[in-house]
Amino acid sequence: MLALQLTITGLQTGALYALTAVGFSLIFGSTRIFHFAHGATFIIAAYLFYFVNVSGYGVVLGIAAATAGAIAFGLLLNRFVYVPIQRDEGSFFTVFVASFGIGIVIQNIVGMIFGRGFVTVQTPLSFSVELMDGLYVSPLAWISMLCAVVFFGILWCFLRYSNLGLSLRALADNPELVKAFGLNPRYISACAFTIGSILVVPAAIISGATSGLNPAMGHHVMLISLAATIVGGIGSVAGTLLAGLALGLAESLALLYVDSQWTEAVTFAILFLFIIVRPSGLLGRSAAH
Amino acid sequence: MEAYLLNLVILISIYSILASTLNFIMGYAGIYSLAHAVFFGVGAYAGTFVATHFSASIFFTLPAAMIAGAVLSLILALPALRVRGEYFVAASLGLQVLAVTIFSEWKSVTGGIGGLIGIPPLDIAGFEVFKPNQFVFVTVVGLIIVLFIINRLVHSSFGRSLRAIRDSESAAAAFGKNVPLIKTISVVISSALTAVAGVMYASYLSFINVESFTLDTSVLIMAMVIIGGTGTQAGPIIGAALLLLLPSLISYLDFLPQTEIGSIQQIIYGLGMALLMIYRPGGIVGLKKQSGGGKK
Amino acid sequence: MVSSQVDTQEVLMEIRNVDRAFGGVKAVDNVSMDLRAGIITTLVGPNGAGKTTLFNLITGELSKDSGTIKWLGQPINRIKPFQAARAGILRTFQDLRLFNEMSVEDNILTSIEANSVPLPMAKSQRKARREKVEYALSRTGLIDKRHIRAKDLAYAERKFLSMARVMATDARLWLLDEPASGLDPNSYEKFLEILREEVKQGVTVCIIEHNLDIVIGISDRIAFLDRGKLLADDEPQTVLNDPDLRAIYFGERT
Repeated sequence: MLALQLTITGLQTGALYALTAVGFSLIFGSTRIFHFAHGATFIIAAYLFYFVNVSGYGVVLGIAAATAGAIAFGLLLNRFVYVPIQRDEGSFFTVFVASFGIGIVIQNIVGMIFGRGFVTVQTPLSFSVELMDGLYVSPLAWISMLCAVVFFGILWCFLRYSNLGLSLRALADNPELVKAFGLNPRYISACAFTIGSILVVPAAIISGATSGLNPAMGHHVMLISLAATIVGGIGSVAGTLLAGLALGLAESLALLYVDSQWTEAVTFAILFLFIIVRPSGLLGRSAAH
Repeated sequence: MEAYLLNLVILISIYSILASTLNFIMGYAGIYSLAHAVFFGVGAYAGTFVATHFSASIFFTLPAAMIAGAVLSLILALPALRVRGEYFVAASLGLQVLAVTIFSEWKSVTGGIGGLIGIPPLDIAGFEVFKPNQFVFVTVVGLIIVLFIINRLVHSSFGRSLRAIRDSESAAAAFGKNVPLIKTISVVISSALTAVAGVMYASYLSFINVESFTLDTSVLIMAMVIIGGTGTQAGPIIGAALLLLLPSLISYLDFLPQTEIGSIQQIIYGLGMALLMIYRPGGIVGLKKQSGGGKK
Repeated sequence: MVSSQVDTQEVLMEIRNVDRAFGGVKAVDNVSMDLRAGIITTLVGPNGAGKTTLFNLITGELSKDSGTIKWLGQPINRIKPFQAARAGILRTFQDLRLFNEMSVEDNILTSIEANSVPLPMAKSQRKARREKVEYALSRTGLIDKRHIRAKDLAYAERKFLSMARVMATDARLWLLDEPASGLDPNSYEKFLEILREEVKQGVTVCIIEHNLDIVIGISDRIAFLDRGKLLADDEPQTVLNDPDLRAIYFGERT
């Protein structure tokens, strides 16, 4: 029964990981921008929702604020930080450092406003219901999984059937195609940032009610996103999704054997194993260069 | 006042070693590590372990710390550098997070969260260094030796290969450079030298705990390198001095909330990193962004 | 006039049924061709025809979906770029990829240092290395610019530095990706002269080029790629006079 309990918790965590990680993976895959501030997008969305919620404006406005904040942050960062850097050399690491710096700024500003400790969004949805003898599941678990199914369903249709989606996918596989297809890279990257940032929102909001928030969790979000992107295969959205889900499950099931402070070690072990054994990831092509 | 200055010089020297060794891989080889504090910590814990269990002589503590740092970095670098640069960032972030857990849990060696106290002073050929006015001499000489080693490496064919890899990994490979191997060697050298700073730090404070070796420290060291100037020898030292002076500077400015010095410091260097990347990627010491120049 | 001579040349590289797709788009589609010693083979075709991808597949920068490539009779299917270079196959890049922060001289020097370990060198070795650098510098006219950072060079000089890096080595096969694009007439005359001279001295060249004057001026053989398919691999006159190929080639210009 414990295993089943942990599996359900793991699926809940994994669904949220998958959403966050796919957001990063999509941006990275199609623009090659190492968007380390993706963790900051998560923080902004989570705290905006938390703020609107505790101020008594309700869930709908909270979701709207979180979504608007996440998209605005993604687009502004792209426009005012990444684009100016990329106009010149635009090396991978210059972008990474700038992004990283912004992440630190956001973490500390949020810390100064809301405090550095944990805060939790209070909702009756987080109360667990006993489904069977000894199996407790909160409605949030179902909501997480439902969110993942809905968002990925929409994303899948978009990537499969729309022209823009097709170009994003082609770019993820071979960035040089931008020129060959005569696509406007500015437009494509703005779209990638919008979609990538939206995908973070459900995970950020639900995490506020389940695991709680703290300003430094952006790094944890990034570790998961990076690990899932690599384990899934760089450039593969489906791979990242699977990997995110698997990482959540593995973290949860690991509790059968180790204490909770070692859950991040499980993520690292899986990431490291893949780098050694299968660097191209679950569904990726050769990564050797 | 004198004690304050000595303390400052010692800390700046130690952090200059950390920043210079990170710059060796970041500025010359283009390898961005978020785990530099791990090797600093490994050096500190390994040196302390040898000092308390065996001998405090630097002829034992330093080699032990360097070997521990080198071996751990080899385990990280060997797989993670075979593949693209992003993998190393991810793997090093993972290692940093994992290392903090290990530093907090492996009580027999690290003393757990409480840390280790009563670390013996440096023993240099029978001479015990613990007074700050002696210690400052040791750290400055240590810094000079580390800088000399890095300088010799950078100006050899090995250094040329590193810089070639940094400027264009694919072109370096296209001209026969075994990129993963060269990168791995550079990371191992860097980590071994980083461990030296750990030994000094532990014996200077005679107390260490996991707080000194967290992700925040890795980020601080990276900020020192970037703000000072990557790929230059003076940059990391200037960056280290500047960022270590920053808290005192902030406390002089009354209009800033003094309870938030830590946050303000991080906001300043986070913003500094982002702005420098946009306007002056070479850092304070580095050259200005080229206007036009060689571009199409 | 060239054909009989060309066809008897030893085959250095044998490319057979090579495929590579990106997300469903076939970038290189079942290409088979030979690169023969001592001649210049020109790859032509519209943008996105798969020319650069073919280079990347040869040097191992990209992996093939299927097919084989042999170099000097040996299969090199799983070769890595650095091994290709050490085996004597060197390439330039369309976007040059100079070592931008390094001086002109260091760019050339590091290109010929196969071994990165800073071991002490014999005097004769050091002298040989110096001579190679000087040779490449003087042939490309960069001798006065030796201490200038690569990124501070003018456009044409950057193109020549990209060539100089290759010229200083002992490679047998050069894969040149649009080395003359954007050069002014003077510079490309100089470039052609360098290339002819090097080929005379025994180097084999495969070059991607768009400018028809250059293509006519240097090719011993022309391979025509379109949408990943090799449409022709023949003597220059045959390819250039083929009306279908002309239509494809000039079609994309308008």
